Amino acid sequence: MKALKTMALYAVLAVAAVVVLFPFFWMLVTAFKQPGHEFDPQIFPRKPTLDNFRRVFAEFGFLRYFANSLVVAVSAGVFATFFATLAAYAFSFKNFVLKDKIFAVLIASMMVPGLMYVVPQFAIVQKLGWMNTYRAMVVPHLANVFGLFLLKQYMETIPKSLVDAARIDGASDLQIYGRLVVPLSLPVIATLFLLTFQFHWSNFLWQLIVTNKESLYTVPVGLAMFKQAHEELYTLKMAASAVSLLPISLIFIFAQRYFIEGMTQGAIKE
Amino acid sequence: MRRSAFRDNLSAFLFLSPFIVVFAVFLAYPLGYSFYLSLHKVTTLVNVFENLRFVGLENFVALARDGLFRWSLLMTAYYAALIVPLGIASSLLLAVLLHNKLKLHSLFRTAFFLPYVLDLFVVGIVWTFIYSPHYGILNRVLERLSIHYFAEQGFLGRPGTAMPAVVLVNVLKGAGFGMVLYLAALHNIPGSIYEAAEVDGATWWQKLTRITLPLLRPITLFMVVVGVVAALNAFVEVYAMTAGGPSVDVGGKAYGATWVTGYYLFDTFYVKLKLGYAAAMSYVLLAVAVVVSLVNIRVLRPKTDY
Repeated sequence: MKALKTMALYAVLAVAAVVVLFPFFWMLVTAFKQPGHEFDPQIFPRKPTLDNFRRVFAEFGFLRYFANSLVVAVSAGVFATFFATLAAYAFSFKNFVLKDKIFAVLIASMMVPGLMYVVPQFAIVQKLGWMNTYRAMVVPHLANVFGLFLLKQYMETIPKSLVDAARIDGASDLQIYGRLVVPLSLPVIATLFLLTFQFHWSNFLWQLIVTNKESLYTVPVGLAMFKQAHEELYTLKMAASAVSLLPISLIFIFAQRYFIEGMTQGAIKE
Repeated sequence: MRRSAFRDNLSAFLFLSPFIVVFAVFLAYPLGYSFYLSLHKVTTLVNVFENLRFVGLENFVALARDGLFRWSLLMTAYYAALIVPLGIASSLLLAVLLHNKLKLHSLFRTAFFLPYVLDLFVVGIVWTFIYSPHYGILNRVLERLSIHYFAEQGFLGRPGTAMPAVVLVNVLKGAGFGMVLYLAALHNIPGSIYEAAEVDGATWWQKLTRITLPLLRPITLFMVVVGVVAALNAFVEVYAMTAGGPSVDVGGKAYGATWVTGYYLFDTFYVKLKLGYAAAMSYVLLAVAVVVSLVNIRVLRPKTDY
């Protein structure tokens, strides 16, 4: 009876997994099909080919887009995480005027819908003359309030006595931050880096708005332009999609603990 | 002493400064500037921001009279009305299934959560291919089952199915996220409660409706908020799959079946370059978001600490 129940559970779970993952399976299968055979209903392509991937990189500039995505996502991840650790240190271990008020304003800003910022941020970027630069894609998103919140929560679990002892020994704030707090917070720093990297890898709307030069397209923007120009090249479109989804999928599979804990923390601990 | 307090403040603000400067310039100032924009109109297409004309509340008055804007709010509400129950149901189902001691627990958890971290735009492109009319794989499967209803226009081309098809993509992508939240909550329910209920002769159904669901209430309310916020921010999935269409005839006017407010905002700003009107629209979105957040705080907070 128990074995039967377990088998039934596995069967239902397997069906659910197929439903959830089928699109990605179908994307991969199509990416290996010969152009013109994209609608063949076979599950596995008759004559699988790597040519779609080659053309996506060699003929359609996705190598460049991929490099742009990397530059944007890595630099945004590094700087947003760095700025958040600095600010979280101040909120966790320092007293300063208006501390609670400033924090309340930061938290309140989290209820503003992301779309609200698009028009005015675009105006600022244009006034600064930043259109078509990496700066424009990265800098407006370097104040990550959710990240600050995540780090502050973690840093507050570091015993105050440890920090006080270091201070009595004459350590400066910079030393306490760099030698004590940051090393002790590494897991959550890694989490925040991964989450910001993931966010910027997929920050399609903003990257579309601030670039109109092909040399600066990121992968999703390049894919959008490719889709407009070559609606009928399905096998190439699926190859480009696979190229775009692969890095995050791999990172997720190897570091899923960080992703899942980081992404659900705000919801559970609120 | 006084000197050291001053130095303490100085050092704290030095630590804060990179974050606060970016916050002030790119998150706080934009809200004010957006309000300024909402009271202005674009007059030229060169040096747009130097040649704005003050028009007072004209944009807001126009919004109130704009049938397409009202339609977009209705479609946003429709989006929310679909994603909230479907999102809750799919997340809860997966969580209840996985909340059994299974050997492959973590494998399934990985599988269900994976789509949540992937790019919605790209996922939308992939689904567009799956939803294709005639030869799309989904239609092929349905034709095997002798369902020919979707062949001609596909799922995204029919006014009746376009919105559900778009929302379904987001539901399947996000189910793993809600699942993890529900799993954590299920894990926190002590087994002794169920044992006590069994002693009292409670049925499977009674245990579900009288114990499990009430204890999951905080997560469910959170999922409602997540769904509403997703509807307010809905743009990328619409851009990827339907571009606001297909067209529906509403009292002699052609509206888009997936023309949500987020898409209208993008169209107004990026395509039509009516920046003031788009800014006014974004203030309506903000008002809705603030109301939702306040309701959320009122309803959710006291219940979280059980």
